[in-house]
Amino acid sequence: MTCEQLVKRNTPKIVSFQDIIFGLQQYWSDQGCVIMQPYDTEVGAGTSHYVTTLKALGDDYWDVAFVQPCRRPKDGRYAENPNRTQYYYQYQVILKPAPTDPQDLYLKSLEYIGFNLDEHEIRFVEDDWENPSLGAAGVGWEIWCDGMEITQYTYFQQVGGIQCSVPPVEITYGLERIATFIQNVENHFEINWNGRTDERKLTYGDVLKRFEREFSCYNFDVASVDILLEHFNDYETECNKLLSHNLVMPAYEQCVKANHCFNLLDARGVISVTERAGYIARVRALAKSCCSAWLKSLQNEEDTHE
Amino acid sequence: MNDLLIELFTEDVPARLHKQATINAQKVFSNLLVKSSAEFQNVKAYISPRRLAIHVTGLSEQTRSITEVKRGPRIDANEKALNGFLSSNSKSISDLVEKEGYYYLSIENKGCNITEIIPNLIEDLIINMPWPKSMHWYLEKEKKLSAFWIRPIRSVMCIYNGNPLEFYIESIGLTTGNRTYGHRFLGNKELVIQNFEDYVKQLEDNKVMHDFGTKRAYIENELAQQVASMGLIVKSDDALLDEVTGLVEYPFIHIGHIEEQFMSLPVEILSTSMKVHQKYFTLTYPDSNIAPFFATVTNVPCTGTMAQGFERVLKARLSDAMFFYKEDTDVTLEAYSNRLSNVVFHEKLGSVAQKVDRLMSIANSTEEHRVIALCKADLVSQMVGEFPELQGIMGTIYARVQGESDVICEAICEHYKPLGATDNLPKTYVGSRISFFDKLDTLVGFLGVGIKPTGSKDPFALRRAAVSIIRLICDSTHNILEDSLEWYIDTLISAYADQGIVLVQSVKKDVITFLKDRLVVYVSDSENIDSNLCWQVVENSNSDEYDFKIIKSKIIKINELSKKPEFEIVRQAYKRACGIVGDFQPVTTNKEYVYENEYMKILQSKLSKLSSNDSEIDFNNCVDVSHAILNACENVLMNDDNLDVKNSNMALLQRCITTIENQYGKL
Repeated sequence: MTCEQLVKRNTPKIVSFQDIIFGLQQYWSDQGCVIMQPYDTEVGAGTSHYVTTLKALGDDYWDVAFVQPCRRPKDGRYAENPNRTQYYYQYQVILKPAPTDPQDLYLKSLEYIGFNLDEHEIRFVEDDWENPSLGAAGVGWEIWCDGMEITQYTYFQQVGGIQCSVPPVEITYGLERIATFIQNVENHFEINWNGRTDERKLTYGDVLKRFEREFSCYNFDVASVDILLEHFNDYETECNKLLSHNLVMPAYEQCVKANHCFNLLDARGVISVTERAGYIARVRALAKSCCSAWLKSLQNEEDTHE
Repeated sequence: MNDLLIELFTEDVPARLHKQATINAQKVFSNLLVKSSAEFQNVKAYISPRRLAIHVTGLSEQTRSITEVKRGPRIDANEKALNGFLSSNSKSISDLVEKEGYYYLSIENKGCNITEIIPNLIEDLIINMPWPKSMHWYLEKEKKLSAFWIRPIRSVMCIYNGNPLEFYIESIGLTTGNRTYGHRFLGNKELVIQNFEDYVKQLEDNKVMHDFGTKRAYIENELAQQVASMGLIVKSDDALLDEVTGLVEYPFIHIGHIEEQFMSLPVEILSTSMKVHQKYFTLTYPDSNIAPFFATVTNVPCTGTMAQGFERVLKARLSDAMFFYKEDTDVTLEAYSNRLSNVVFHEKLGSVAQKVDRLMSIANSTEEHRVIALCKADLVSQMVGEFPELQGIMGTIYARVQGESDVICEAICEHYKPLGATDNLPKTYVGSRISFFDKLDTLVGFLGVGIKPTGSKDPFALRRAAVSIIRLICDSTHNILEDSLEWYIDTLISAYADQGIVLVQSVKKDVITFLKDRLVVYVSDSENIDSNLCWQVVENSNSDEYDFKIIKSKIIKINELSKKPEFEIVRQAYKRACGIVGDFQPVTTNKEYVYENEYMKILQSKLSKLSSNDSEIDFNNCVDVSHAILNACENVLMNDDNLDVKNSNMALLQRCITTIENQYGKL
């Protein structure tokens, strides 16, 4: 069922926030992707989901798509800034290896969720992506629609400091931005979430505004620094311990949690500029160890098969 | 006329690379043709976002045949070695030639039909083309990674004399053909191409401008015309024009409106935000006041929805900028300065606040102290956090807002200038001085902890800092050195020491050597003077005082003189004297020796007229001295049997040599 049919079934006019998600799920499912659910721990981006990071390494085929709620504590604005929040949604697609026509696939996905490409200008503007905490880097573009960035598109080259033997392409849609376009609203909190136009219409603000406000307070003002510091150290220790047991996925999860702790401490403003580099280096060391251990386990698997 | 057309059809090539890529492609491909002994008239490369094309004209059908002489084993070598040599070159004993104890083979490379080598040429082009940052993609059928390229190559066209050449390119797993594609949104999907003229025409019909230069000129012209019809002018910006040219396959121009509420923002902020975030051009009235409009170049004709979008995005951007500006102006620059202890200058060199303290130690006036106290404050402002390129500029704007004097406001943004060899120098005296302090502190610090540029890597722009220092000393209308250069270096070294930052012992020498090095490069490049000559002058300059201004003018003067015919006489005389003195080390006394020989007397008197002070260049007297040297050498036996006479002769010649060297260096 296309998005337009979905729209017809539900409400006559509005393509709701959830319609966009349904549309993307259907479209990428039709392309043969595994449709996963979000990673159930706090991450700053879909890239941190282990199905992106770890699975980018090794030679296996891997096409996957999922919604990922993202947390960037420092970006919170107590729900007062219409377009900047500490919690938002990405739609993440990984195609490994990158097929021969990923740009076309992307453009068709926009049409599928209701963009009329004759009315908009889509352009690919150079933006080479890098994530120092994950030791990951790639080349690609920001994709602009009428001058606004709505998607990040990257050919991974390196993850955990390791060269990708089968480079994947990562397509990351900014769902709120896309919704503001499709619904022609200027404020994230005004996005129609459930597609109703009557008194039971629920907006993004209705669903998330309080969450945004309270978490901004937590991130910036109330989170216990001592507890967070302890957590950071604990996650780091646990990650290394799990690695020594060859439990790569649980170890990676500890690394992701340590990273979120660092982000919270950073938002709390207790990390000086000099310390910052040190924390990032510690998280990167964990990520690198996890990635190496992952790759090694894949090679071991191969060896036992042979 | 034979011609070859190649097109590599790729995903979008970053706009900033277009110009250089055509130059590189032309160079690489010409070199490859030359290396393959192919004869051709011209190689031209064309680029647009999704394609790089190369067109070779006047290409000979056959490559040149070349005869190469190969040396083989010695004549007395064993048979095995000889047979190996013969078989590896597919020759027989009768082909051998003996010469000077070795066997030689003359191997004729017959040359071949150009079409035989085209596949290799393309393969080599892909491998040899330099990109600043490139990527691999996975070739699924081949089960391997592609060669490096800027973005994935999706299709390759190769047409020789109107005939498609079909072959497989291993490094990217594609087979060539005669097909390409039009504009992504406005053109036909697939185009079958006959030849170059057809290529250009079909692309044009399908909304692709194949040539960067043509497209750039078209945009520039269209922009100017459309804007002129509104009585406005485009704020010229070559870098932005290059970039927007690289972003579109076919240009359309749209003029949008800036909401009135944002027009109160300083023009630098409006302009930077529009350029950096949105790649919009700033428009002004003829009196160069900013107008409430922007111009943007689009890849498709602008629809109402798009126009709305462009203004909406700008509104969001400028709302952010407005917010930052308000927040920033609520805080004084002093308050921001207090936060500079949180900004790292370099991990080994402490914070920016510490840098500010060091600069204070070499400053001299109340004004200078004020500028130093404020000039780095904007680094922690919200606006510079968002737009790093506005550093200094925001400092000046905020200083105005808080009512600082004009000199201080100007000096704040000027203290970053010049950015290297071609940028404008600061206009104010204070700005020039603080710029000099700041850059010298950077140089002393980095060289002091052993960080130096290596090869093309200079991450802290130390070379640029050094050349800026040199220009501030040499080229500024202000005389910025109130004390000697050495005093500034010494004082900065102790300022570092006072902060507990340990620098290497040799730092002073290192800084001076580094500066001298850059002085040579700068003067030789900017004045187009042989760098050996520059070196000579720099090396021979009085080592106690490094006044680059004097050294530079001396280099220029000597360079001029060295082109005069009389200079040859100076050179000859100098060489002659050097040859005679050789290793002999004359004993010198304070007493003026009384020569009996007439020639030596003349030489002595001529020399006495020539100042030995190296800052004075007295060329005519020097030519006189040179004549006197040559005459003396011709007519006097310098190596006299009387040791006393010999010593005095040699002493005089040595003095001549030293005097000439002091003025012109070793010749």
